[in-house]
Amino acid sequence: MPDLTWLYDAVARLLPFEAMQARFMQRALVELILLAPMCAVMGVHVVNFRMAFFSDAISHSAFTGVALGLLLGADARLTMVGFALAVGLAIVAVGRRTTLSIDTVIGVFFSTVIAFGLAVVSRDRSVARTLQMFLYGDILTIGEAEVWLTAVLFAALMGFQAVGFNRMLYVGVNPALASAHEVPTRTYQYVFAALLALVVIVSVWAVGVFLVTAMLIVPAASARNLARSAFGMFWWSLVVAATSAVAGLLVSAQPWARTATGATVVLCAAGWFAASALASRLR
Amino acid sequence: MTTPAISFENVSVTIGGVRILESVDAQVRRGSATAIIGPNGAGKTTLLLAALGQLPFTGRIRIPDTPRGAARLGYVPQRLDFDRGMPMTVMDLMVMGPQRRPLFVGRSRRRMDAAMSLLESVKADSLASRRLGALSGGELQRVLLALAIQRDPDVLVLDEPSSGVDIAGGSLLCELLDTLRAARGFTQLMVTHDLSLVTAHATDVICLNRRVMGQGPTSSTLNAAVLAATFGLHLGVADLHPLPGCTHDEHGRQPHADA
Repeated sequence: MPDLTWLYDAVARLLPFEAMQARFMQRALVELILLAPMCAVMGVHVVNFRMAFFSDAISHSAFTGVALGLLLGADARLTMVGFALAVGLAIVAVGRRTTLSIDTVIGVFFSTVIAFGLAVVSRDRSVARTLQMFLYGDILTIGEAEVWLTAVLFAALMGFQAVGFNRMLYVGVNPALASAHEVPTRTYQYVFAALLALVVIVSVWAVGVFLVTAMLIVPAASARNLARSAFGMFWWSLVVAATSAVAGLLVSAQPWARTATGATVVLCAAGWFAASALASRLR
Repeated sequence: MTTPAISFENVSVTIGGVRILESVDAQVRRGSATAIIGPNGAGKTTLLLAALGQLPFTGRIRIPDTPRGAARLGYVPQRLDFDRGMPMTVMDLMVMGPQRRPLFVGRSRRRMDAAMSLLESVKADSLASRRLGALSGGELQRVLLALAIQRDPDVLVLDEPSSGVDIAGGSLLCELLDTLRAARGFTQLMVTHDLSLVTAHATDVICLNRRVMGQGPTSSTLNAAVLAATFGLHLGVADLHPLPGCTHDEHGRQPHADA
């Protein structure tokens, strides 16, 4: 893996706060700066597709992914990714083939996945401790490998957006209309679900199971209040996510705050949301 | 006779154990304005969706290629089920189909000009910068029509184009369709329950009540026997003889007002 020291040094120079001089803070910021825009951009589509519940189901599948890893004696991170992908694609596949509404399908998967995780954990109590780490996540202990993986995912995802953003919007307006007009709706649904599953799992490492959905939804929801066009929605979502990430990390490191980073980031985004709701009221 | 624009051969659709369409054999004449009529639950929309490849069916639906390649379909849905809170303008919607460059880096001038003239042709140019969610039923219908026309379709498929609009709006839309069809030469296939629009604007009809009860040119097909078979018995009271014309919308609506 190539060295990222130059990047961390640059971060330290750009943000000359005392808190930012520690290497783990620099790494955390890089991770957040990669993660927040990914979540923001995916969030635009998640909100358009009304898929908030989907991301919730995937993030909770992380729990079972870990349990599965311990059960099989495999690397928990690998099984998390694999299991999340499988659940995400299965939800889309079943959703496309049934007359049940999508939130019913997701609900079934959600509870099954949780039940499976609990069943595994209940057999072996020692697993529970490992799980806790993923419930809350910890961006401050994130490793070099995770940063690299996030960077690769970031590149793949932005590539996907550059190629597919307009088509995704089309599907988001109405899938039947989009496919009647020859947008490859099915392909987009599967690719999006797979990418979303990956983004969710990487976010679980950073902010924990509880806060992933917030990372995806809150910036996009704020953007909805502020934007009037597709262009505006995309950029507002990015601005809200990026500023919340930086502000959240800095605030969490202050001696008077000493709060969990992920939670502080989400609270900053929630502040944005409140302001945006007010702005849309006044308009 | 030229090959039909669409031909349905022995098409059956079963959804959730219920037979919606049964052995439908029908042709849509190239260049025609064909209306699919029938009572509620007759399978009109189902037939359209099958033609669009949106639901599974047995039998065959043939949409022959045109000289420029595979036939292109344009679709105007009855009610667009979409999220009205979505921040998206009419221009966004028009541009996002043809434009490759993602909308977040901006819309191309060329695409916008092209979209604007399409919107003008459906009298919706004043709506270009409006939010999609802020459109009325009739306005949205015209925008969706522009969106469908944008593909330069060989067959334009419309589901109940007059449902979301008042009677005046309905005939206005049909006049618009007549003009567009004359200018662009597409085949028009629409589902409607509004017999007054059918007699005034459709050249051909397919009378459907799970199976085909009659089809052909509007004036010769819409007789009392076919209508009775399609809509049920008491249509006999409707005075449908002064066909073709547009004078009996009340009668035309009667049979399925209580269906």
